[in-house]
Amino acid sequence: MSGLSGLLAQAFLAGGVLAIAAFGELLAERVGVLNLGVEGLMSLGAVVAIIAVDSGTSPVGGLLASVAVGLLAGAIFAFATVTMRASQVLSGMALTLGGSGLAAAIGRPYAGEPARASFGALHIPLLERLPVLGSALFSQSLPILLAWLLLPAGLHALFHGTRHGLSLRAIGEAPGAADAQGLRVLPLRFVYVTLGAGLSAAAGGTLTLAFVPSWSEGMVAGRGWIAVALVIFAGYRPWRLAGGALLFGLVGSFGYLAQARGWGIPPTLLGMLPYLVTMLFMIAPPLLRRGGGGWAAPASLGLPYFRDER
Amino acid sequence: MSGWTVQRIPAITLGVRLAAYGLALLAAILLAGLLSVGVGLPPLRLGGTILYACFATRFGLQDLALLATPLILCGLSVLMLLRVGLWNIGADGQFYVGATCAAAVGLFVGAPPWLGLPLAGLAGAAGGAAWIALPAFARLVLGVSEIITTLLLNFVARLLVDGLATGAWRDVHSSVTGQTQRIPIVLPRFPHDWHFGPVHAGVLAAPAIALLLSLAFRFTRWGYELRLCGANPQAAAYGGMPVRRRLLQAMLLGGAIAGLAGAIELTGTVHRLESGISNGYGYTGIIVAVLAAGAPLGAIVTGLLMAVVLNGGTVLQIHGLPAAAASCFIGVVLLVVALAERLAHYRLVRLRPAALAAGRAAR
Repeated sequence: MSGLSGLLAQAFLAGGVLAIAAFGELLAERVGVLNLGVEGLMSLGAVVAIIAVDSGTSPVGGLLASVAVGLLAGAIFAFATVTMRASQVLSGMALTLGGSGLAAAIGRPYAGEPARASFGALHIPLLERLPVLGSALFSQSLPILLAWLLLPAGLHALFHGTRHGLSLRAIGEAPGAADAQGLRVLPLRFVYVTLGAGLSAAAGGTLTLAFVPSWSEGMVAGRGWIAVALVIFAGYRPWRLAGGALLFGLVGSFGYLAQARGWGIPPTLLGMLPYLVTMLFMIAPPLLRRGGGGWAAPASLGLPYFRDER
Repeated sequence: MSGWTVQRIPAITLGVRLAAYGLALLAAILLAGLLSVGVGLPPLRLGGTILYACFATRFGLQDLALLATPLILCGLSVLMLLRVGLWNIGADGQFYVGATCAAAVGLFVGAPPWLGLPLAGLAGAAGGAAWIALPAFARLVLGVSEIITTLLLNFVARLLVDGLATGAWRDVHSSVTGQTQRIPIVLPRFPHDWHFGPVHAGVLAAPAIALLLSLAFRFTRWGYELRLCGANPQAAAYGGMPVRRRLLQAMLLGGAIAGLAGAIELTGTVHRLESGISNGYGYTGIIVAVLAAGAPLGAIVTGLLMAVVLNGGTVLQIHGLPAAAASCFIGVVLLVVALAERLAHYRLVRLRPAALAAGRAAR
């Protein structure tokens, strides 16, 4: 593998995990719910996937197990924030703290053990012979390929190509108006917040089954928060999100490269790089484009919907 | 014939709010008890063990005071921003940086003790304030959510302390890795015949700052303006208040309090800069602030409460439960409190027959 495609392969891998988590967050935010629990969902998904493959299921079964635990936790979160209209910030922090704590508790016997099964590289015929992309993208594992090929196209088609997607965006922008149109605001919010949580947890499963192949406490290391930042950075659009995830992945793989080549950058500084660059990506866009241009958050993001306040 | 209906009320009194939080806490404890039955542990005996370990011995009480101090201060830091309607999820990072700046004073400034202590405290507060300056700029000038920016800097601060404690500032004379040498600036302890043991003068800072904030919130124009700028910025600006300046002051002060907490932890309790010196105090500070319902004096009580929870986690560890159980429990408490806060905004009202009849007639 040449230098460039090696770097790209690493970027597609690291960025793919971020992309899956961020697409889950996008589902929730598009219908107007800010889910700050991604970090906890990823931890739960990561540990459950490891436990599942350890008890003998296939990697696909492990990934499905992480989706299942994400759906369950997401349903609890959606019950609190959508049905009961509790504070989204508090409920999200609860999910992050509780999810990370629970994952650390139940994952203790598995910490540091290599995963018993993990995703292997899929070699897609013909495409894998493409010059750079062939070895960088089309030789990745199944969940990573889905993250780059299926999810952005699928979510773009859903949100910007179907009537149902238009309804979902309306619920995120103006739930009162959507309600007056006869759309069922709370049930739809509940369903999409829960589905998004399942997807975010799958990112955790991808982390342990396709990226690191092992579980250790604290291994999610802020990826959930970077995913939340990524959604904002991408202006809530699926394709931009995919591009942003690749950019974030490149930043991460730059660290590996610097370490491997021995460029003499202190490891502490390299460790800080993803967070600092995420900060930069949060701050730079609004500094450069002042207002407008379809980058704004859904207008009702973070606000609970009360029909009597319409 | 009569019926019942649920009615939403726009604002609730402090009493109702506190009652709701109390019930929520009780529900969370019950849930934890049920869970412990589920895994085959006797909940009452575990609870008794925790309470005994915290309150019945002198060592327990000393530990409680030492643990509650950073929790109350981090809670006050979060509360400071909540006052103006903002979230400080970054108290943990500000705590780390505050401890780092205080350690720098101790390691590199050869000041006499009477000067060294205030200098270390100031350095800690300044470091904490500096650590929130970038998120404050992003929030107040560019409109970038302070939740994610403050949180991201936690990871950076943690790595900074890791890097210093294992690298440039490591103790070269010790075989223990990941810590600096002993910091020569030390907070004084209480007179020996008081039997306060390792409890240092820094524990007084938490109630003192809580009292100061409480007085400032209640009796000064500044405190009034802070509240209004948080509750309704448009109205505050219309009333001629410098909204952005007040928000900036609240954010910097919040960062400074968390940084001071780090400096106190370093000079009073830990005495060396080491990886993981915060133990998640900044995150627990969020629930300390939320449970205190915006009242600085309330944070003293809720900080002590969370100290019992964390201490309980340590006790449970001895009984073979993972340390993460405490953070799991804090997550449950947060969720139940968020639910209770909302539920407290509803009341059950009885429909009188006349009203029902009128309703039917109208239909």
